Amino acid sequence: MPASVAIVGTGPSGCYLAQALLKARPDLRVDLIDRLPVPYGLVRYGVAADHQGTKAVTRQFERLFERQGARFIGNLDIGADVTLDDLRGCYDAVVLAAGLSVDRCLQIPGEDLAGVATAGEVIRALNEHPDSKALPPLGRRVVVMGNGNVAIDLVRLLAKSGEELAGTDLGEGPSAWLQSAGVEAIDIIGRSPAAQAKFDPVMVKELHRLAHVRIAVEGAGSTEDAEAQKRLDALAAIDGTTHGDRQLTFRFGLTPLAIEGQDGRVTAARFRDASGVEVTIPCDTVLTAIGFQSCTNLSRDDLLVDALDLDAGVLAAGLYATGWFRRGPRGTIPDNRTDAQVLAARILNDLGETGGKPGLPATEGLVDHAGWKRIDAAELAGARPGRCRRKIADRQTMLEIAQDR
Amino acid sequence: MNITVLYGTETGNAEMLAEDVAAHLEGAHEVACTNLSDFAPADFDPGQFYLVICSTYGDGELPASAKPFAEAMEAEMPDLAGVHFAIFGLGDTEYEDTHNFGSRIIAEMLQARGASQIGERVLHDASGGDMADDLAMDWADSVVELAAQQMKEDA
Ligand SMILES: Cc1cc2nc3c(=O)[nH]c(=O)nc-3n(C[C@H](O)[C@H](O)[C@H](O)COP(=O)(O)OP(=O)(O)OC[C@H]3O[C@@H](n4cnc5c(N)ncnc54)[C@H](O)[C@@H]3O)c2cc1C
Ligand SMILES: Cc1cc2nc3c(=O)[nH]c(=O)nc-3n(C[C@H](O)[C@H](O)[C@H](O)COP(=O)(O)O)c2cc1C
Repeated sequence: MPASVAIVGTGPSGCYLAQALLKARPDLRVDLIDRLPVPYGLVRYGVAADHQGTKAVTRQFERLFERQGARFIGNLDIGADVTLDDLRGCYDAVVLAAGLSVDRCLQIPGEDLAGVATAGEVIRALNEHPDSKALPPLGRRVVVMGNGNVAIDLVRLLAKSGEELAGTDLGEGPSAWLQSAGVEAIDIIGRSPAAQAKFDPVMVKELHRLAHVRIAVEGAGSTEDAEAQKRLDALAAIDGTTHGDRQLTFRFGLTPLAIEGQDGRVTAARFRDASGVEVTIPCDTVLTAIGFQSCTNLSRDDLLVDALDLDAGVLAAGLYATGWFRRGPRGTIPDNRTDAQVLAARILNDLGETGGKPGLPATEGLVDHAGWKRIDAAELAGARPGRCRRKIADRQTMLEIAQDR
Repeated sequence: MNITVLYGTETGNAEMLAEDVAAHLEGAHEVACTNLSDFAPADFDPGQFYLVICSTYGDGELPASAKPFAEAMEAEMPDLAGVHFAIFGLGDTEYEDTHNFGSRIIAEMLQARGASQIGERVLHDASGGDMADDLAMDWADSVVELAAQQMKEDA
């Protein structure tokens, strides 16, 4: 029997790894496991609804199941439903590609006020992730703390009009939330100077095309670094945009001190600027987009500390890590591809000609690829006018559709 | 005909498409499929017809796997007279101002060294309604036919 490999997580890093493994060794048994009944991780639940072109990578990933012989095992949480040790007992190699799904917090006073939410929470809810919380009430003035691409995604979605959301897979609830809030002003706050911001210049430039915004960039400063200069150029290019009334203001070099409130609700965010002066920005909502950290069911910190060779993705004999789980919450879809191709070579080498562990036995309640395709078909068929898909947001309904045969 | 499908990719879409195009042409032709990152300018051979499939990244730049090839072209300045190619671009009209620049860069680079382009540069839009496969198979069939005539006339 050929060797068997379990990949925990069906986001881009898990899928690219399976692709590389099966390209080299089509005879391998490769099982892609996800805690959700549906595959593709942040491509489905992170990448913005108005970037459908980027989501098209899933067409490649579908081939894993349709042509390359990989199996999808959905609705199985490793660490909860099956222990990692048991999983390792069933496979010749196990790879953790489980991403990082918990939001980092600012750890300043006021984070528990009503009106404060993390970008992760909001993005999961906008994407109708089955485990998401309700969308927080959104006021007229929104402060977004963070200078990564995720912050820009949020700002763009908040600033778009109904027509600008046509063609997306944004659901009815999230669409209504974005449209009815009547956001008038969004302040985008970076702790670092603009030169050290993390967003890609193209992401910033895209804001210029929004139909209803007025954009101001304050205190972007200067730089000697050519890469950073591209970011400053992109900011300069959007500064002064006057296409409408929604005011977007970029501010840099502001260290968050506290979020202030009244009667349990946010009223302002307080910062210190580079010269030590306090700056208070009145607002109704604060969204923090400052990164992600480890999920709970897999003891990532312990595994990484004991890793045999973390750079190569080797945690222990027969146990590997890739993608955000290995590298931390940095890097885009192509970065995971490069990572996966290197790790695949390593795993194939380690496996050699050995093998024979049979993989997980079939169990009730799991979702296979045919089950996912039924969910997919139901979502595509249910699309409302102006939308390309209508996501099923509830796990129970997903399971019912998946199991319907 | 001897055909080499070359692809430049960043997230793998062009690679998948190149493999599909190669598989589509295989029965009737001798076909090889190669990543531009594994292809050197000195490898060009007038006896082959080149089908290039290339995406666009960053701000209208070449995708990662095409960059080493572009650098080598720049450094080596090969003479590509007699070489025939056709080109298919992958891009996204979300990036309005730089739509499909990657394939344009490659086409101009090859032409500047004397290679002849067969047919129009066909552009896919990831945000559009068409599947890249649907466009690319028709493109491949038509440029292979054009190339057969052209290469016969040239010979
Ligand atoms: C909001 C947001 C927007 C982004 N937009 C873009 C973009 O436009 N373009 C781009 O290139 N990159 C984008 N990125 C980055 C990109 O999403 C990541 O690089 C990529 O998703 C990381 O891949 P991954 O496979 O490591 O993790 P993930 O995509 O997070 O996949 C992890 C998978 O593991 C599963 N899982 C977790 N724990 C378990 C468990 N215990 N058992 C079983 N399964 C488990 C999860 O359900 C999930 O499906 C974005 C990221 C975010 C957060
Ligand atoms: C970060 C990023 C930047 C992009 N820049 C451009 C661009 O400037 N012009 C364009 O036409 N397409 C652009 N695209 C779209 C890609 O070319 C398109 O998604 C293509 O299908 C990717 O093919 P690949 O997987 O082979 O790299 C970009 C995509 C991303 C994710």
